[in-house]
Amino acid sequence: MTDIQAALIPTGENSFRLEAYLGRGGYEAARTALLTRKPQEVIEEVKKANLRGRGGAGFPAGSKWAFVPQAGDQPRYLCVNADEGEPGTFKDRAIMTRDPHLLLEGIILASYAVGVHTAFIYIRAEYESIARRIEAAIDEARRKGFLGKGIFGSGFDLEVLVHRGAGSYICGEETALLESIEGKRGWPRLKPPFPASVGLFRGPTVINNVETIANVPLIFRHGAEWFAGRGLPRDGGMRLFGVSGAVKKPGLYELPVGTPLRTIIYDWAGGPAEGQGIKAVVPGGLSAPLLTPGELDVPMDHESLARARSMLGSAGIIVIGDRTPIIDILRIVARFYAHESCGQCTPCRIGTTWIGKIADRIGAGGGAAGDLDLIRHLAEGMKGRTLCPMGDAAAFPVLSIVEKFGVELGETISRGAEGR
Amino acid sequence: MINIQVDGRALQVAPGTTVLKAAEEMGIVIPRFCYHPAFEPEGSCRMCLVEIEGLPKLDLACSTVVREGMKVRTSTPKVIEARKDVLEFLLADHPLDCPICDKAGECFLQDYYDKHGRHASRFSEVKEKKRKKIPIGKNLLLDRERCVLCTRCVRFLRRVTGTGELGVFERGVKAEIGIDEGTAIRNNYSGNLVDICPVGAITDGDFRFKTRAWFLKKGRTVCPRCSRGCNIVVHAVRGYPLPGRQRRIYRIVPAENKEVNGYWICDLGRYGYRDIEDNRLTAIVLKKDGGPEGMTSDWGKAIRGLASGIKGLVESGRAFRITVVLNSSLTNEELAACRRIFVDFLDLRNVFFADPKPGEADGYLLTADRAPNGRGAAALGFSPKLPDPEAPPGSNDLLIVFGLHILEHFPAETVAAWFREARITYLFAAHTSGLEQVADVVLPTALPAEKTGSYTNIGGMIQSFECAVPAPRGPLPESEILARLAAELGVKLE
Repeated sequence: MTDIQAALIPTGENSFRLEAYLGRGGYEAARTALLTRKPQEVIEEVKKANLRGRGGAGFPAGSKWAFVPQAGDQPRYLCVNADEGEPGTFKDRAIMTRDPHLLLEGIILASYAVGVHTAFIYIRAEYESIARRIEAAIDEARRKGFLGKGIFGSGFDLEVLVHRGAGSYICGEETALLESIEGKRGWPRLKPPFPASVGLFRGPTVINNVETIANVPLIFRHGAEWFAGRGLPRDGGMRLFGVSGAVKKPGLYELPVGTPLRTIIYDWAGGPAEGQGIKAVVPGGLSAPLLTPGELDVPMDHESLARARSMLGSAGIIVIGDRTPIIDILRIVARFYAHESCGQCTPCRIGTTWIGKIADRIGAGGGAAGDLDLIRHLAEGMKGRTLCPMGDAAAFPVLSIVEKFGVELGETISRGAEGR
Repeated sequence: MINIQVDGRALQVAPGTTVLKAAEEMGIVIPRFCYHPAFEPEGSCRMCLVEIEGLPKLDLACSTVVREGMKVRTSTPKVIEARKDVLEFLLADHPLDCPICDKAGECFLQDYYDKHGRHASRFSEVKEKKRKKIPIGKNLLLDRERCVLCTRCVRFLRRVTGTGELGVFERGVKAEIGIDEGTAIRNNYSGNLVDICPVGAITDGDFRFKTRAWFLKKGRTVCPRCSRGCNIVVHAVRGYPLPGRQRRIYRIVPAENKEVNGYWICDLGRYGYRDIEDNRLTAIVLKKDGGPEGMTSDWGKAIRGLASGIKGLVESGRAFRITVVLNSSLTNEELAACRRIFVDFLDLRNVFFADPKPGEADGYLLTADRAPNGRGAAALGFSPKLPDPEAPPGSNDLLIVFGLHILEHFPAETVAAWFREARITYLFAAHTSGLEQVADVVLPTALPAEKTGSYTNIGGMIQSFECAVPAPRGPLPESEILARLAAELGVKLE
């Protein structure tokens, strides 16, 4: 474990300042790339590094960039998704707080690769101080000539704009994010067309997560082979695993993609909290299906978790202690999605609330015999049937809870019935 | 052309066709709420999900474009289950107030639930409470509990009128259609919102609680309110006697015609339906020369009277003393008969037109020319001009006036004076106006919706229509009156 070197999150009080970043070799990768390499070569390098999206879906970043058509007069855009709304996820804030220039350098590289001259960073409403920090970093970079006209004397122009969210989970969904930047209600768009062809202001658009973009300078600083070598064959690099909940040392751990979940929880996060066992683990943000204590040996990469019928998502790990009644988890999950459903499409709008009402009723001791079947059926009615991925995001954890913890839920229901 | 299969039947459709439209070409109607042919697919109601071979998930029929070899299935167990689920979701918080809902009988939710729904709902929680009867402008009332949030209304106001009065507020199950405080829908196309609302969320105060949709008989015709010639459907109660003062005509809605009005009509045309009902003249009034003064329904006598009056003047060489005032609300067939009788046969000098006064065009469907058949009149060789007030028609022996638009151009007293001064006067009119007091003979006429004929619209398109609603007992269409007059005069009409 000792040979693993953290690269994304520098320590030190002033790590966020431009001088500190330059001291770490900052902006050299972008300078070299802009002056000596063609955009297509930048894309190829990122493809070679096997960088997959860090936002949740895990789409290969190089391929995403390559999809953007280079012909046509429409301006192309890059939108950096800093909405970080998935419960259990707190990695992007660390990058933006400690190393905003790493993100900006990544934006320069990505923009150069795709031919973008205007990039947006969409920062969630709650990240007020972070937004100010990013804006300060943009000012610093612009004064140095790292942003604006003719960056590094290369003839490449780029402006980076900060756009603030207004407190909606759904605006982290990429097309809702685009609507929000356009000043509209944050409702996801019907796809196709996909943002790569018709995106922000109808221009071809790339939307990448903060961590994805922050990894790009590392690829150019150390080489694609170095980067790919730190992860798995089809899932390169390190990931920021956020561990929260019933563990001794909750926090953010930068570890190679594919590190087993058990290793992260026990060896890094110190194992379950004092006096508790583990009842369940959410492996990748709240929308990932729960795992049981028997399923913790899964390597934390997209394919392994898919095989375990869960998902890596945003790699936000929530450990649920065995003192927590599972009905509480069900209620929290259901209420969250009911509260955050945008209301656009029928199954999610009604389904999330309906499930929430049933969960609340069970929690209040009013459960009935058919409730679990009904919840399962309602979740199935959302799964794969909604306009955006939120229907799945709401259905997956609910289905896993009912499936894996049906016995405990059944007991809760019977206890409630006895009490009546 | 693209070869596809829908429910096992092969079909060729044009590239770019959506699955929903392709299925419709085969007569398979896929249920939908948010989809409306006037707009881009929205994909939010999730009612039109179908199975497409090779795809793991159900896909939207409204937005999925056909591909060569695509195999679509519209009624597999998966599809049927998905429809049941969407309907159950939509009905979960719905107030189930069909018995007092004006949309009942023509409501998508009601019809689909009946056909595709899960009849025993499993919803046993407390329903969401929302505001009902919210005035949102003009005659419109919004009931948020009935709303399925298809956003057709929002999109109509953004994309068709461009006025954008409505929007969606709040989110999740609290999401609701709303209007900014202090504003209201005031555009000339507001009534279309009632038509495109697939449920009873937007109702028309003018129609509310007046009748039930299933009592209404529908007749298609052309709107006579301007020169656009929008296609309309008149909804009327007929087939049994109406008690007391009950209404006959309940509403006018648009009929689809892509080349003329698309899917819409303006409010002027829509609410013009009252005209068919109110202040109608129903009996012939004879004052002199027709025997004893009074009301009659003897059309033969009235027309013989007119014919003999005309013949007398022609025989005495005084045909130039006959003045006829026509109008461009008459159908092409009626105007052709007028031309044949008054111009070709009688060779009258004094044939005038009194048309509706031009209004303001609204930049969309409503034109400045408020006569429906100006182009038709021109095509028949008429060059419509008003009577000259310097040589008033009153100084004539026989004055025949069709319609009441003359009152829009001259003061009522002036027109009344003409009627009093002329030796014999005939008024062809559908409505009371005061002129019937001074005309010697009043002949009650049918309105355009009660006629069969054709109009030539502003674009030169000749649109034929059939009688959409039977005229009340008494009036006759001018076409019939003119035909009988021609027969009396011995004129052959084509």
